[in-house]
Amino acid sequence: MDPALGRDGTTASAPAAANTVPVVARPLARDGFNAQSLGRGLNAHVKQARVLMVGAGGIGCELLKNLVLTGFGEVHVVDLDTIDLSNLNRQFLFRQEHIKKSKALVAKEVAEKFNPAVKIVAHHANIKDAQFSLEWFSGFTMVFNALDNLDARRHVNKMCLAADVPLIESGTTGFNGQVQVIKKGVTACYDCSPKETPKTFPVCTIRSTPSQPIHCIVWAKSYLLNEIFGLSEDESAFDYSADGDNAKEIAELKRESEALRKIRESVGSPEFHEMIFDKVFNADIVRLRSMEEMWKTRKPPEPLVYSDLLEKAAEALASKDAVLQNDQKVWSLEENLVVFKDSLDRLSQRVLEMKKAVAEGTAQDAIITFDKDDNDTLDFVAASANLRSALFGIDPKSKFDIKQMAGNIIPAIATTNAIVAGLCVLEAFKVLRGEYDKAKEVFLTPFAPARLLASDRSREPNPDCPVCGVFQTRAYVDLSRATLNDLVEDFLKLQLGYGGKDLSVSNEVGILYDPDETDNLDKKLSDLGIKPDSFLTITDEDDEDPFVNVVVAIQEAKQPLEDKPIRGVALENIKIPTKPKKTPAPEAASTVGPDSRIPSEGVSEVLPPAKRPHPESSSEDVVEVVTKKARTVPVIADDDIVVIDDGSWGGGAIVIDDSD
Amino acid sequence: MTEIIMSQTPPILHAPSEKERKYDRQLRLWAASGQSALESANILLVNSGVGAVGAETLKNLVLPGIGRFAIYDEAVVQEADLGINFFLDESWLGRSRSQGLTELISELNPDVQGTWYPSENVKTLESLLVDDSQFTIILYTLPIRQGQLAQLEAYGQRHKTPLVAIHSAGFYSYFQLNLPGAFPIVDTHPDETATTDLRLLSPWPELVAFAEELTKDIDNLDNFEHGHLPYVVILLHYLGQWKASHNGNPPSTYKEKSEFRKLIQAAARTDNAEGGEENFDEAAAAVLKTLATPSLPSGLKEVFDHEHTSPAEQRSGFWLIADAVKQFYEKHGCLPLPGKLPDMKAQSKVYVQLQNIYKAKARKDAAEILEAVRAMPGGDRVDASEVELFCKNAAFVKLVNATGGPHAKTSPASRLKAVAEQEFSNDESASLTLSPLSLLPIYLALQATSHHVDSATPPRADNILAAIAERVPGAERNERVIQAAQEVVRAAGGELHNVAALTGGLVAQETIKIVTKQYIPIDNTCVYDGIAGRCQVLRL
Repeated sequence: MDPALGRDGTTASAPAAANTVPVVARPLARDGFNAQSLGRGLNAHVKQARVLMVGAGGIGCELLKNLVLTGFGEVHVVDLDTIDLSNLNRQFLFRQEHIKKSKALVAKEVAEKFNPAVKIVAHHANIKDAQFSLEWFSGFTMVFNALDNLDARRHVNKMCLAADVPLIESGTTGFNGQVQVIKKGVTACYDCSPKETPKTFPVCTIRSTPSQPIHCIVWAKSYLLNEIFGLSEDESAFDYSADGDNAKEIAELKRESEALRKIRESVGSPEFHEMIFDKVFNADIVRLRSMEEMWKTRKPPEPLVYSDLLEKAAEALASKDAVLQNDQKVWSLEENLVVFKDSLDRLSQRVLEMKKAVAEGTAQDAIITFDKDDNDTLDFVAASANLRSALFGIDPKSKFDIKQMAGNIIPAIATTNAIVAGLCVLEAFKVLRGEYDKAKEVFLTPFAPARLLASDRSREPNPDCPVCGVFQTRAYVDLSRATLNDLVEDFLKLQLGYGGKDLSVSNEVGILYDPDETDNLDKKLSDLGIKPDSFLTITDEDDEDPFVNVVVAIQEAKQPLEDKPIRGVALENIKIPTKPKKTPAPEAASTVGPDSRIPSEGVSEVLPPAKRPHPESSSEDVVEVVTKKARTVPVIADDDIVVIDDGSWGGGAIVIDDSD
Repeated sequence: MTEIIMSQTPPILHAPSEKERKYDRQLRLWAASGQSALESANILLVNSGVGAVGAETLKNLVLPGIGRFAIYDEAVVQEADLGINFFLDESWLGRSRSQGLTELISELNPDVQGTWYPSENVKTLESLLVDDSQFTIILYTLPIRQGQLAQLEAYGQRHKTPLVAIHSAGFYSYFQLNLPGAFPIVDTHPDETATTDLRLLSPWPELVAFAEELTKDIDNLDNFEHGHLPYVVILLHYLGQWKASHNGNPPSTYKEKSEFRKLIQAAARTDNAEGGEENFDEAAAAVLKTLATPSLPSGLKEVFDHEHTSPAEQRSGFWLIADAVKQFYEKHGCLPLPGKLPDMKAQSKVYVQLQNIYKAKARKDAAEILEAVRAMPGGDRVDASEVELFCKNAAFVKLVNATGGPHAKTSPASRLKAVAEQEFSNDESASLTLSPLSLLPIYLALQATSHHVDSATPPRADNILAAIAERVPGAERNERVIQAAQEVVRAAGGELHNVAALTGGLVAQETIKIVTKQYIPIDNTCVYDGIAGRCQVLRL
């Protein structure tokens, strides 16, 4: 390279070595290297591509840079999040001054400077919003998932399958990561293999018989904090279903919660700490101890006495600030009391101010919910969890560890994201060329000595997959008048070929219609909670040669429909396949080929997702709700669920081999 | 001598908690010790060639917070740089690429100090390297002038500084770690479950006494106590019984262990409400894993067998501790106890007692080793915490590059020939064994253009093949080598941003392992094929 010529006069003088180097020019244009390596054809495809990137976090920042420099013509970025300090160690498009701003908007602003030829469109919004309709998805050449949660990943997967847009799915955890190409009917979709669902705990384990630190942390975060400052008990963290035998205890726990809610009204009074403390670390514990049955095989908890502990805490109180600073150390019982008191004060103060604002009409509600980056809530949860652990003889944890467990923190670094984002774009080249046979599922194998990446040919779709193993179609509906009966009689039976068959119609909540469940037939679809972009699953109940399940995406009719309020697309071509006869699982597909070794830690194929419908009411004594009626349900936010990290990530994969 | 670009904006002094918050997600991988090593690091990037891969690598090191970096880059920013190098925009056209990259990469993290060369005072790489500044590690991108490479290699040997070579062209890339000698790692982060060491086959007196006390009247324990015997105690008790009927020998073959497992299963009480006992289930499940005769792990054996290549190496804390552990092993026939007790069904009180027995033994072993270290010349400088860490991880200590470095018995040239022979012969049977084809051809083709710094005349296939023939005679006729050479020609010395970014991620990851001395870095060359989407690590 030429070190000297062309250097402008303001920089340092030319190095002496310049004399010995041949003078060369590099006449390449801006995309010269791309044209050279990609070849003209692919380079042109790249420039014409219109892609969607969902998520502008760790992978997203790297990916956006790669897309921009590779020259993708138009990139849409959707992210709901704002920038946090803890993002800056890897999300390199963001700086200190961007904290609290929209990730999508800042990412666009920063990245578009680096290639004026690329158009970036930012959406500071939730990808599940109605504005991101099926039609909108259909407008992209491909979609990149750079997400951090199961719920959004599943949503995009479903939308891409319905719109038949290829999806490049990726994820990282610490040093591990993976990339996969999802193309309807060609490769496996995100839901073709069951995913580990967030863990819930039996309510009695949390409220009555904790045995691990996580149980006390969930108690502090989802029960205590919520009862005192939040919207009351966080149902999603608890599993009531396994507790059929404990109906009596659950009723008792319900009474306890109510009593705690009453104390909540005393927020701001000088006795507030003591009232809460006495209630949850003494009175409730004394009651628990009296349940002798429960302690036959367990050590009963020891109630704490506020005044006794406070007396011993004089020293810890004096060094309060130092205690609060030290999040790596495991606090002593007295130190936990100090943090408990102090954080309770801070939270009370905040709630009082919020209440004032509500009274003045400048705020909507006065509630505080857990946020791992909100130090007040974290301190309160850490101290309360440790105090509870002490009662039950469970090891306390440092605030640093509790933050990870309560906040569901996944370790993350720049390097892994850089590798994964690079892999995403390489797979995108294959998608642009339509070379799905060459598409790979790639895993990072940071602890495999012989290679750092393992790639496998893409898996084939799982014929039994509830998401992609179905026939997908759309129905254009006049939602102002269409009833379920119109759907069943006019659309399914007449247009889709279900005439003479037994069928059932269901949505994500439950069954809307089957031969025994006809109450809803006269209801309007809109009254059943069906909106544009709702998905309905049609199951053929016949035993002989049944149709595969059909998923109908409901679309708002654009022009007024004349006689019938429902119309399908391209009807003359529709032929629903029948379910395949059961054949042995095609496992060979993933074990042949040169690159077939999948690392064991790469995929989490364990528990099938819980199929338990959630009740619409918040009654606590629900045991197992089996309902055939559809209801409208609140969707569980991912962040509210504590996931136990089983430690299978991150460690070296060293196994002691028993040589026998 | 050095010019500090960032002097106009002094680094912001963050409160410690703010810094911890910023680095929170990575502290969970390498802890405060790793972070502090990163923050003490001073990294030199000699950016040659197109240079995008160098910038991408450095970005991934500046973000997690290395202490300082310097870029030596003689190039002037041109239009093509803008299309591939994210950090450069139009305002840099015609100006020093080194300065541009330094300023823009520094913006990523105000905690990091960046410097650029050539500068007013330091005009050549040679003068930079004679400067007394000590670099923790040097990264250089290829192609590079032969003379400069020689200067870097000399510096590496003189200062025992690791060098990392990086070459990215088109869809291909490779990088090579060149460590200055044997590189020991104590904090290898083994899998938690693998670190359990219960010593059931060679228990010490306190453990034996504890188990005997709990089980002396095992048949008359009530159901609660029987159902809460820790599985460690159960196994020790029945091992005693087994040995009594087997000439004092523990179960050793798979068959015997299966029998022993059945013995345990049969000893569980089933006349209770649960119809079985969880602690006995745990004991049965642990038989195969915990009753293996301990052997010296291969990584540690390599440490024990290592011949020191310099007196300085021998006096380092690691090697003093290693010698003491070796003495300990020779004397006791076992390694110091790590001391961790896994969770198991037990009464809390009993579990805590048992835990303390393991902890006390671990402390005793560590104290014995510390004493031995202290008795050695220079041993008084060794930190007790370093001894503790070694003892806890002894079974997983790893020596990287044990036989490499300047004192290696085989030269790099003859190693390459040997590896080539092996790889090509594997490839011949690859279709039968279904093993992936070697990526060595890519390395050979890229390597042949290591010094092709003249971008006006792109490399030619016949030149590449001729250079390969010199290093590995015969390889130039290999079909896949010819294909790789053609692909390198097609790339014409250009980088693909995306491959550079990916490679930069891989290189930075390995660099972090070396700097933090945590996790095991690759040994020693990683070749990436972006067409097939594969990676291979070769020991060259």
